[in-house]
Amino acid sequence: MSEVFYFQEQHWHLLPDRAIFWEEERALILSDLHLGKATHFRKAGIAVPAGITSEDLFRLQQLITRYMPVRIIIVGDMFHSRENNEVQYFRIWRNQFSHISFDLVKGNHDIMPEEVYGQLQISTWPSLTIRGIHFIHEPCEEHNGYQYTFSGHLHPAVIMAGPARQRLRLPCFYFGLHCGILPAFGHFTGSATLDPSPDEPVFVIAGKSIIRTQ
Amino acid sequence: MQQQSRGWEVITGWLADKELKPFRFQEDAWKAYQQGHSGIVNAPTGFGKTFSLFLGALIAWIDAHPKDYQRKQKNGLQLLWVTPLRALAKDLGRAMEEVILELGISWQVGIRSGDTPLAARAAQKKQMPEVLIITPESLHLLLAQKEYPQVFKHLQAVVVDEWHELIGSKRGVMVELALSRLRGLLTQEGRPPLKTWGISATIGNLDEALEVLLGPYHSNGIIIRTNLKKNIQLQSVIPHEMENYPWAGHLGTKMLPQALPIIEDSQTTLIFTNTRSQSEIWYQSLLREEPMLAGALALHHGSIDMELRIWVEEALHNGILKAVVCTASLDLGVDFRPVNSVIQVGSPKGVARLLQRAGRSGHQPGAVSKIFFLPTHALELVEAAALKTAMEEEVIESRMPVLLAYDVLLQYLMTLAVSDGFHAPQIFEEVRQTYCYQHLTEEEWKWILSFLTTGGDALAVYDEFKKLERQGDYYYCKSRMLAMRHRLHIGTIVSDAMLKVKFMSGGYIGVIEEGFISRLQPGDSFTLAGRNLEFVLIKDMTVLVRKSNAKRTIVPSYQGGRIPLSANLGRMLRRKFNEALSRKTKDPELLALQPLFRLQEELSHIPKDDELLIEKIDTKDGYHLFVYPFEGRLVHQVMAALLAYRLSRIQPITFSIAMNDYGFELLSDQPVPLTTENAKTLFSADNLLTELQTSVNATETARRKFRDIAVIAGLIFQGYPGKHKANRHLQSSSSLLFNVFSDYDPQNLLLKQAFNEAFFYEMEEVRLRETLERIARSSIVITHPQKLTPFCFPIKVDSLRDTMTSEKLEDRIRKLIAVNS
Repeated sequence: MSEVFYFQEQHWHLLPDRAIFWEEERALILSDLHLGKATHFRKAGIAVPAGITSEDLFRLQQLITRYMPVRIIIVGDMFHSRENNEVQYFRIWRNQFSHISFDLVKGNHDIMPEEVYGQLQISTWPSLTIRGIHFIHEPCEEHNGYQYTFSGHLHPAVIMAGPARQRLRLPCFYFGLHCGILPAFGHFTGSATLDPSPDEPVFVIAGKSIIRTQ
Repeated sequence: MQQQSRGWEVITGWLADKELKPFRFQEDAWKAYQQGHSGIVNAPTGFGKTFSLFLGALIAWIDAHPKDYQRKQKNGLQLLWVTPLRALAKDLGRAMEEVILELGISWQVGIRSGDTPLAARAAQKKQMPEVLIITPESLHLLLAQKEYPQVFKHLQAVVVDEWHELIGSKRGVMVELALSRLRGLLTQEGRPPLKTWGISATIGNLDEALEVLLGPYHSNGIIIRTNLKKNIQLQSVIPHEMENYPWAGHLGTKMLPQALPIIEDSQTTLIFTNTRSQSEIWYQSLLREEPMLAGALALHHGSIDMELRIWVEEALHNGILKAVVCTASLDLGVDFRPVNSVIQVGSPKGVARLLQRAGRSGHQPGAVSKIFFLPTHALELVEAAALKTAMEEEVIESRMPVLLAYDVLLQYLMTLAVSDGFHAPQIFEEVRQTYCYQHLTEEEWKWILSFLTTGGDALAVYDEFKKLERQGDYYYCKSRMLAMRHRLHIGTIVSDAMLKVKFMSGGYIGVIEEGFISRLQPGDSFTLAGRNLEFVLIKDMTVLVRKSNAKRTIVPSYQGGRIPLSANLGRMLRRKFNEALSRKTKDPELLALQPLFRLQEELSHIPKDDELLIEKIDTKDGYHLFVYPFEGRLVHQVMAALLAYRLSRIQPITFSIAMNDYGFELLSDQPVPLTTENAKTLFSADNLLTELQTSVNATETARRKFRDIAVIAGLIFQGYPGKHKANRHLQSSSSLLFNVFSDYDPQNLLLKQAFNEAFFYEMEEVRLRETLERIARSSIVITHPQKLTPFCFPIKVDSLRDTMTSEKLEDRIRKLIAVNS
C-alpha cells in the first residue's frame, strides 16, 4: 500500500518498495541501488549470495509496469563499484525499457567511466532540477536556494520506542525542512539512524505498508 | 627396564645435581612418553607441568642419540609447543633454554607468534629451531606457507599447553585441525605416529578433553594425574553497610574502600574484574581513592597495547607494582612470585575460573593461595557461598568442546589452499578424525567445498565468484592477492571487529570494538588503557584520538564480557537458597544476607528446592513476569525465548526479554497471559525441539553470534594493515550479511551454525530439558508483589535485551505512534 503525500504542491506516491512515484512528472525516483555490489564482493572471494541485483531489478521492473513512468531519476549510487557482469546484466535488462529515460545524479559510488553510462543509455548529472525541485546525492543541511531538495546517500532509518522497552528500527522516507532523504532501494545496503525533529514528516516502511509516524 | 635408559640417567642425574627430585607424575609422564604414548598431564600450576613433558622429550632425544646427543646441531623441528597466550612464550622459552644450556645440548628454542619480527621468521624459515613455541594462529600460518611439509620433516611431538583454556573455544578447533594435518603428514610419509600431549588444569571432563586432543578414534592416550593439591582460601568481603548495599550493579566500586586494606597488607595484589570496562573503571577509581598508588598501580587487559602489557608483566615479576587491575588476560601463565593475594571483583561464575585466579597467588608448591571475593551486588554473596562449597566438594565444571564449527573449517581449507593446495578426499578423511568434525556429513563437506569454489548456490551464468580453483579433487588458490589477504586474516580469529586506537601524533594505545566507536560523535571522550581520550576520527581502520581533559568519559563496554554461570554452580546456588531458607546456615555470606532474604520473603517468596518462583509485577514500564529457575544465563536465554514464544501463541503480544544467572524477565505493554492453570503447560518439555527452533529464530541472539562467524569464515573484509587505502567498496557489517543470507540463502551452513551456537550446543539443550523436567516435578509459586523484589531488581535493570513478538508489524507501529503522540 502506497501513501500519497501532497507536499511542495506536488503529489508524491511513497512506495513500500523504497521508491517515490512523482505524479506530475510521471517519474520514478530512487536512490542508492548499489547494483553489482554482490558480484563485487564475490569477485573478491567473499561469498555473499548471488542474485541480489537481479532481484532488485525485478522489483524495479514491477514498479515500471505498474506506474508506467516516462523517466527514472536516480539520486546517486546506482552502481556499487567498477564494471562487472551485473552491469552487463543491467544492459540487457535496460533494453526492455528503451523508451524510458534514466537520469542518474551521480553519487560517490558512481565511478565507472562516462562512456559506460552512455552505452547503458543513462544520462548522468552532478545534480538535477525539475519544477524547482533539486536532486543531489548528498543531503544539504541548510537552505541551498532551491524550493526543495531530494537526496539519498544516508540510507535513512528511524527508531521508534514505546512502553515496556519496545523498540523498532525501520527504513524511512524523511522530509526535512529543506531536504528530503530517500531510503536505499537496493537490498544489499545497510542503514543509518536519523533523529528527526518532531515537526518533520517521516514515513516508515513496514513490510508492504507505508506508515506516517510524525 | 626402559627408564634406565641413557636419557633417563642424564636427566635424573642433572636434577640430582641441583638437589631436585622429580615428582611422581613427572616420572610417570616420562615413562609414558618413552613408551610412545600420547595423553594429558593434569596437575595444578606451580608443580612443574612444563618439565613433565619437556624433559620427557629431551630423554627421548638422548635415547635416540646416546653418543652424540650434545653435539648434534641443526636437527630440524623436533618439538612443537602450542600455547594459547603470546605472553607465556617468552618465559617458557627462557626456562627451556636454561635446561638445554646446562645439559650441553645444541638445541635452539624459537618463538613464533604475531609478535615475532620478520627477521626472526626468515631465519626460522632457513633453519627451524628444534623447539618452537607457537600460538594456534601462528601454527596455521605455518600451514599457509608454500612447502610447509618440509617444516615438519623431523617433528616428533606436539605439546599443547593450557589445553583446558583452548578446548571450549574455536582456537581449540584450530589446534584440532592443525594436529589432524600433522598426523596426516606423518602417515603419508610412513613415519612413526606423532606423539601428542596436552597439559591441563583440572576440569570436569578431562576424559573428553583427551578425546578432543587425540581425536575420537585414538587408542593409546593416557591421562597422568597427580594428587598434589593447592591449598586455596576463599574469603568474602562482606559490605560494612549490608542494609544499604545495592541490589543490582556490576561494578562493585562501592566496595573499593574495603579493598584498600587488602592491597596495603599484601606485597602485590592482582585485582580480577570480569570485563575490560570494569577494569578501566576500577583503575581510575582506585587512583582517585588512594592517590598514593600512582606509579605502583597498573592495568592489564586484552585491548591494551602488547608492549605495555609486557611491561606490566615484567614489573610484576620484579615486584615494583603494588597492585594490577586485570581481566582474564592474566588468568594464565607463569607465576609472578611477588603476588600474594588476589581480589576477585564480582562473581567469577565458575569454580574452575576461581581456582585458576586464586592460583595466581602463592605460586610456590605448598603455599596457600588467598583470594578475596568482593560482591558487586548483594545477591552475589550467595554465589560466593556456593563457590566455597563447590570448591570444598571439588565440583569442577566441564569445558564443552566446540562442535561442527563450519567457519573455522572454511578458514582452514583456505589456509591449505593458499600454501600447497589440498586433495579433498584426503583432507575430508583427516578432518573427520577430529572430535569437532567427527559427525561432518558428505553433504556438508560438499557444501563447504562449493562455498569456496563457486561461492555457494550460484546459478547465475554471469557469476564471477573467485576464490579457489579446482582440478579434479585438487583445490588451490591462484590469486596472490586473495592468498595474501587470507594470511593476514588468520590472526583475527579471536577478535571481533576491532579497530586500533592511536594518537593523532602517532603512538599506539590499544584496540577497541567497532560497535562502541560507531556510537560516538567526534569530540566525545572515552577511556582506554586508563587514559581519557577524545575521539577525533576513524581513518583506515584506525581510531585517531587526542588526550582529553573531560571530567566525564564513556567507558567502552566490550561484548562477550558476560560469562554465564556454570550448571554446577547453578545447582549449588539453589542449595544455598534452601539453606538460607532453613535459617540453619553457618555461611557468613548467607548470614549477612538475612535482612535481604526477609524482605524477599515479605514481598514475595523464597523458592524451596522443589519450587519454581514466578513474580508478576506491574510498574509504569509495563507488565513484568519474572521467573527464577537459577540455571544460569545460557539456559535462561533459551527458556525465556521458549516461554515468550508459547505465550505469544495465546494472543498477539510483544515481549522485551532480559535475563541473568538467577532468572529471566518477560516485559510487555499488556498483561501477560500466564496463570496458575496454564503455567505447567507453558513449561512442558513437549515439542521442545521444534518450538525451540521457531522461537529462537525469532530473536536477535543468532545475529549476534553471526558476527564472529562471518569474521572467521572470511566474509568480513578487514582491510590490509599498514595499507592506507582501505577498500571501502568491500566493507559491510555482519548484521547486513546476516540479513542478506537470511533473505537470499537461508540454507547457508554459516547461518545454521549461528543458530547452533546461540542455542543448540548440546549441553544447553540437555540442560534445558533437565530444567523443564525438574519444573514439571516442582510446584509453581506465582506471587504478585506490590514492589520490585530483591530477586527481580538485578534483572530489571539489565540493558541487554531481546525481543519476541507475535503482533503484526503494522499494529506495533500504530501502537507506538499512538503512545508517542
